[in-house]
Amino acid sequence: MATKKKRTPNVHNDSWVVIAADSVIDPQTHGSDPAFVRLRNPSTDGASLYVLASGDAQLYEVKAFEEDLHSWFVGQTVQRDGKLLFVTPMDPLYLILPYLVKCGKEGKFQPVDQVVMDEEFPACSRLLRCTRSLASLHHIAEEKEVGSLKFHRYSEEKTMNWLKKKVERTVVALRNRNISVGEGVKSTTYVRVKSESDYCEEDYLRYGHGLISEYISEDLSKALLRHLQLPELTSPKETEPPSKRRKLSDKPVEAGDDYTKFNSPDFARKPPKKMTAAQKSLAKVDKTGMKTMSSFFSPKVKAEKK
Amino acid sequence: MSCNTSVTHVRVSSVSQAQGVPVHLMPCEIEHNGPAEVSQYFTATTKDHKHEKTVSFRGRGLKGQEIRCPEGYTGLVLKEISKPGSDQEDRTVKVSSVFDKLTYWNLETPPNSDDTVVLAMDWPKMAEAIHGPVED
Repeated sequence: MATKKKRTPNVHNDSWVVIAADSVIDPQTHGSDPAFVRLRNPSTDGASLYVLASGDAQLYEVKAFEEDLHSWFVGQTVQRDGKLLFVTPMDPLYLILPYLVKCGKEGKFQPVDQVVMDEEFPACSRLLRCTRSLASLHHIAEEKEVGSLKFHRYSEEKTMNWLKKKVERTVVALRNRNISVGEGVKSTTYVRVKSESDYCEEDYLRYGHGLISEYISEDLSKALLRHLQLPELTSPKETEPPSKRRKLSDKPVEAGDDYTKFNSPDFARKPPKKMTAAQKSLAKVDKTGMKTMSSFFSPKVKAEKK
Repeated sequence: MSCNTSVTHVRVSSVSQAQGVPVHLMPCEIEHNGPAEVSQYFTATTKDHKHEKTVSFRGRGLKGQEIRCPEGYTGLVLKEISKPGSDQEDRTVKVSSVFDKLTYWNLETPPNSDDTVVLAMDWPKMAEAIHGPVED
């Protein structure tokens, strides 16, 4: 295994293997077809891929499960790209939250449709059409009604309580699924454990916090850690000088290089500003914007990136 | 970045014509996109044992297992209908095939519940916890 064959980049991919919630392709809710759209990822601030379906009533997250050196046989065809995409229902509030936080700095009550606007991601206004969006804004904002009009102002206190409940729900699910949350657990060694009593409440809370942190900004993630009364961990990586740590993610993505990099969290965090034509064509095969599954099984990712 | 405005539409009406197909996740990269005689040279030589399947592929012994899609989920193969001229144009994909189970293959290790693809099938349940509505 010492010699690694140089592989040609897979630029001709026009097919994707997906596991999607049945509701995405429910013919009952026709009217308009579901669509993959790019929206601002609340954690990375870059573009990520999401799905809006049922006439924008439901938002879905797109996650890539990807291991190196895999391909598909689909019927009587070979598909070189061994990626498996998951399309799962998503809470639109995570994507709306950053816009409210940003406008909240002004301290004014504002109509939410004037808050959720983004020149870079015009599709973001469609988030407000999701069934759950307007009905759940009170979890992250104070509401004021003047006549028939509603105004909102971001509330950190409410948001922290909402996020705490999110973490608690996640902890319950982790326990039910017997997912190992201990110290040594890394993305690739994510294993099932038989006895859940092996792990203490704090391990679960930290893991849950890590999972929720994939959907919020770094600032909110830190605030949530305090709200959960969990002390910040100082991992060896964090004590390294910043210049040393940044190197990895600042490395330009080369076209001839392993194209899976387009899907790494580092890439999602810092997309190169200028791309060559070759890189552009690579990017077009939709490597951008889909977060890898592995980031989900490693709650420490957030901490290590700093 | 202008390409953030382009949208990929999924033509739902194509689902009714999409055929169920056997789907295999192979433990190697095959540098090819396109037709292959999978049933003749791969499926036909697959042996079914109690808990695992075995097959020889390119001289290597593979061990595999069939897993079902999570409940409430369907496997789809999306295929682009026509290539867009630029990255600013909208794209359209159709559902070319559907599947409710897949077979994944390991190189040497017998399939077990800690295989990453098996664990990945837990993701929808975890996502439900992360994204489901919270009570007031």
